[in-house]
Amino acid sequence: MIFIKRAGLYCLRQRCRTIILFLVLTIIAAFILTGIAIRDAAEGATADVRTAIGGKIILDIDKDAAAWKNEQYDWGTAATYSGDQITQKQVDAISKVDGVADYNVEETAAYYGAGVNFDYLPATYELSYTPYGEPSIYTVTLSSGKCKSFLSGKYKLVDGRHITPDDKYTCLISKQLADYNKLSVGDKIKMYSLDSDSISEFEIIGIFDGTEGSFGNEDTVSDVPANWGYIDYAALQDIFKNIFNIDYYQHLTIFVDDPANIQNVYDKISALPELKGKTLKLTIDTDEYDVVSTPLTSLQKLVNTTIIIVCIVSAAVLTLLLTIWIRGRKKEIGILLSIGKSKANIILQIFTETFAVAMISFAAAIPFSNLTAQKAGAILVSRITTGTTNLHVHMDAAYFPAFCVIGVFLIAVSVLASTWPVVRSKPKDILAKMS
Amino acid sequence: MSIIQTCNVKYSYDRNKTILKNVSTEFETGKIYAILGPSGCGKTTLLSLLGGLDSPAEGQVLFQGEDIGQKGLAWHRKNNVAFIFQNYNLIDYMTPAENVALTSKLPPLPILARLGLTKEEAKRNVLKLSGGQQQRVAIARALASDVGILLADEPTGNLDEDTAAGITNILKECAHQMNKCVIIATHSHDLAKQADVVMRLRKGELQITDVFNAND
Repeated sequence: MIFIKRAGLYCLRQRCRTIILFLVLTIIAAFILTGIAIRDAAEGATADVRTAIGGKIILDIDKDAAAWKNEQYDWGTAATYSGDQITQKQVDAISKVDGVADYNVEETAAYYGAGVNFDYLPATYELSYTPYGEPSIYTVTLSSGKCKSFLSGKYKLVDGRHITPDDKYTCLISKQLADYNKLSVGDKIKMYSLDSDSISEFEIIGIFDGTEGSFGNEDTVSDVPANWGYIDYAALQDIFKNIFNIDYYQHLTIFVDDPANIQNVYDKISALPELKGKTLKLTIDTDEYDVVSTPLTSLQKLVNTTIIIVCIVSAAVLTLLLTIWIRGRKKEIGILLSIGKSKANIILQIFTETFAVAMISFAAAIPFSNLTAQKAGAILVSRITTGTTNLHVHMDAAYFPAFCVIGVFLIAVSVLASTWPVVRSKPKDILAKMS
Repeated sequence: MSIIQTCNVKYSYDRNKTILKNVSTEFETGKIYAILGPSGCGKTTLLSLLGGLDSPAEGQVLFQGEDIGQKGLAWHRKNNVAFIFQNYNLIDYMTPAENVALTSKLPPLPILARLGLTKEEAKRNVLKLSGGQQQRVAIARALASDVGILLADEPTGNLDEDTAAGITNILKECAHQMNKCVIIATHSHDLAKQADVVMRLRKGELQITDVFNAND
């Protein structure tokens, strides 16, 4: 009788043990599958973050390397940067570098606008140094969706759309400011700029939130985050076209496809002839990616550790259970040895018994672990990540090869560990103890 | 011609207590051998060495002139010998038919029928059979393996007189009609009387007599 048939007979005739083994293996399988699903979801989320945020390379004017020249103004003398600026030609060259996904310009507080036909949320002190009251600060950008606060999840667009490079005289305002003035997407606001001494009209194309909680604690209007907004770069260039030459940028954010490849992209950009010899500074910035991905990496590490611990504990529990049962099967092992069955043949029988039950357990664990994975994933996300990350935990057929390898390995280790002390004994000793 | 022989076999427990001292003997096919001796004299140990359940500390066990260790003890147990134990040693979650099938690919029912078990009994759990029936199943398992040597350790020790007589007859049939070498370790004088050769183990040494003598 071959070992497979003996294993089958044992499983069928020793039903109580088979059911206990089935339950234990189902629980173990559910734990491991849950762990694999969460780890995979965390990996997927990290990859999503990579794609969404990417790595960033910053191109700045190098104020340390360039000479400064003193310029005389009506109000006095000021030292002005006289080095190279970032030109559109350079930006075009950079955008063609392999691995560059996109670029953006984000100039914080590059425009100060006082409300002409709307009011800012009040601050502690009301300053009125323009005819229209105190101005607030606006970030000037090519693409507001790629600005730091939106990428990090601090701000979220709740209505309308983001500013794009094709926009002109468009703006984003906070939900608090919109509510305060009963403004909505499509409305137009007028702002006065003291620097250009002009009034400009902007169309509200988007409203964002994330400024809540800071209102009422600031000294001036421009200190209140809810008064801050975004305008497009084309508007800034148009407003100041007769005052300053700003057909260039001072700060360019370059997004790469994959942060893992960022050094390679950095090297390629550095080697561009358009940048050679210019007083421009290129630096790698992965801060935002790190902020979002670190909790996910921690989650992955935690889940990996948990899977290892579960595997070790499972192997221990399984070994203990099999050891107890195999002690009761010494007689059977002695008989099998006495009729000439090899040790390997006996171990294979016990392995087959466990493996056969395990296959059914693994299948039974799928729906169970699907539920536990989703629950556990939700709990872990809420506790470990900032809440800005979506973790899509689900069972995937792709997990099963890896899971089966782990399962078979655990069973093999447990069967060997539990049977070896008995099987290595001399058949005579086993039979003598039985007598 | 001898089928199995021991050459200067020595065996001891814990290096101090010597059980067998230079035991040299031969066993032939077609005969029943009875090994007599007090408890603990080494009867079972000698059977274990002949059956490859253990190895001698010194000396050799030869099957048809070849050391049984050469092809491996498991191979020897599978192909050359079969055991019949006092406590039957049947696998308790199997039926008699399945126990017999452990050692042979031949259909087990005819062998069991030859030993007096009905078809219905052959498909019962072995624990639901009487002692005599269980021993018959053990003998059937030994015969099914189609080996030349049957090693029986107190085969009638747990049986009543009538059942023991039946088992003894089966063993005699195995030796005399099936031409097997049947070696029995026993305390039973009744069983020893049926043997062709009687051996006595005393203080680790084996003495051979051709016939049973109760006064020896």
